[in-house]
Amino acid sequence: MEAEIPEMTVDQSVHDDVQDDTKADTVSSEDYAIVIEGLDKEYVKGVKVLDNISFKVKRGDIVGYLGPNGSGKTTTIKILTNLLTPTSGRAFINGVDVTKNPKEAMKPVGALIEVPGIYDYLTPNDLLTYFGKIHGMDKAKIEERILEVLAKVKLQDWQHKKIGSFSTGMQRRLAIANAILHEPEILILDEPVIGLDPKGIKEIRMMIKQFQRDGITIFLSSHLMHEVSETCDSVIFLDGSKILAYDTVDNITKKMTMTTITLSTLNPLTDDILAKINALEKIGSVERKNGNLILGFDGKPETSNAILTQLIGMGLKISCFAPEVANLEDYYVSVMSDEKGVNSI
Amino acid sequence: MTSFKDDVISDLKHVCLNVKFEFTKNWKKKRIMIVMLLAILLPVIFYVVPLAFDVDYAETANGFATSNLGFITLLIIISAAMFTGDSISSEFENRTGLILFPTPQRQNSIFVGKYVAALLATWLAVSLYYLITVLEIAQIYGTAEVTVELAKSFMLALLYSASAVSLIYFFSAVMKRTITSTLIGFFALMMILPIIGLVLSIAEVDPWFLVTHSSSLITDVMNVASSGGFGPGNEHDVGSLTSFSPDFYEGIWVMLTYTIGFFVAGLTMANRKKMEG
Repeated sequence: MEAEIPEMTVDQSVHDDVQDDTKADTVSSEDYAIVIEGLDKEYVKGVKVLDNISFKVKRGDIVGYLGPNGSGKTTTIKILTNLLTPTSGRAFINGVDVTKNPKEAMKPVGALIEVPGIYDYLTPNDLLTYFGKIHGMDKAKIEERILEVLAKVKLQDWQHKKIGSFSTGMQRRLAIANAILHEPEILILDEPVIGLDPKGIKEIRMMIKQFQRDGITIFLSSHLMHEVSETCDSVIFLDGSKILAYDTVDNITKKMTMTTITLSTLNPLTDDILAKINALEKIGSVERKNGNLILGFDGKPETSNAILTQLIGMGLKISCFAPEVANLEDYYVSVMSDEKGVNSI
Repeated sequence: MTSFKDDVISDLKHVCLNVKFEFTKNWKKKRIMIVMLLAILLPVIFYVVPLAFDVDYAETANGFATSNLGFITLLIIISAAMFTGDSISSEFENRTGLILFPTPQRQNSIFVGKYVAALLATWLAVSLYYLITVLEIAQIYGTAEVTVELAKSFMLALLYSASAVSLIYFFSAVMKRTITSTLIGFFALMMILPIIGLVLSIAEVDPWFLVTHSSSLITDVMNVASSGGFGPGNEHDVGSLTSFSPDFYEGIWVMLTYTIGFFVAGLTMANRKKMEG
């Protein structure tokens, strides 16, 4: 399957904001919750984990950050949350430089990064009370929010139980409760469903959708295509330390061409029939696979319709006629194989 | 944007919150209970054992206090190792830093909070130890026998606690593993530095610069003859071994230098540490 790499939307305004005053601690942040500008990171001199990465995340969007293991997703997120310092380049949250002013930058942020350790000798109440105070919430508000967030992550009956007795899924839900405790404007989630069972994954996915309805901007890194296609508005593809593409999920799906049809019939598919199908004008190729035929075509819906009409006209008793539906995974594979490094938007 | 004054106030508030959080953690891990129990039991032994075996107490209150305080450095080292050994390294090793650090506070507020909490917890244990000793002296010799020397010894014990906490804090900031930082800190104060001091003494070199050497001021200040006097140029033979006693002011300077130097170095190293990998 082939796919075009969508042209990425270039909004130069934020670039200009940054470049005009490279020493400033802030950039204009009216439209963008997150701005990453020319980010480089080397753990070992000469080996770039991130290579001049730039992108922006609009307010209220859910943006997926996709890439294989080791592509630099977590490094980007750690820089964005001041857990790492970039070799060069800058990261801004609500226009505030994260490296220069992390205390201010992290105020509107809730973060869940990798699989954090949680103080297993504490209770959710101890943990959330501390983080509530750090976010400047008063006692009454903290008590109110603890009940709310624990109910949201279905841990209301565990408020005073030791975290050490929690399952992995419960600990992950508690970490999410902690991230949303102070009603953040921006949620940064790194592999939020890693290690969870299907039920847990579904619960987290529903939570993320709910957060978006609440108006929270979400930046979510993952290597799971399905998770991202189910939850995100836009996706950024990262590989080999570079951004390969950044577009909306809708645009990507639209731009993907469906170039194969899976066909199975009640008639035995003899060589004679195969030759007749192969001779059809609109069919590019015919291939046997698992007892079915895979027909190559130009991907247009009208061509698909014409092929179906012709096959029925040939007297075939069709039991399955399935043009392949493009998904994010196909696009991802095609983008990765193209390896066109596009590092600015 | 907040003003500088507001910024400082919020930083101090965060330090206090972190001190409280560290106390909560140490309380839940039952460390406070263990150390406080030791702080009560150790001096009580010196009161109960002579009673149980019908042995006389020391002739003077200072003599009693000196033998009682024989365990104070052990308590300080145990307490400092327990409260400080994992204070920084554990956040990286156990990955708890992944939820602790991405918060609207300076990392300095977290690390200073951890130091202050460990110091206060150790001071609390030392204070309890001295309080029990004072109560025992009051019971055995009468309140009039509670001397100024004991107060001086208490202040020196607090100062030594600060230097022990600072040294182990530095190891916690430098080491990757909690167990390593705790054990190295503990054994440095318990064995390594005293052995170096002993070797230097054998070579007739005054180990004035070792904090463990200065720590003997805690009992020397009681002016009881057993360990020799203290003061400039104080040097006496113990059998064939030359033993050096720390100079009072020099010892204070050494302990202060360890306290400040290792705290600053530890804080700097902690801030350089990043959540890599």
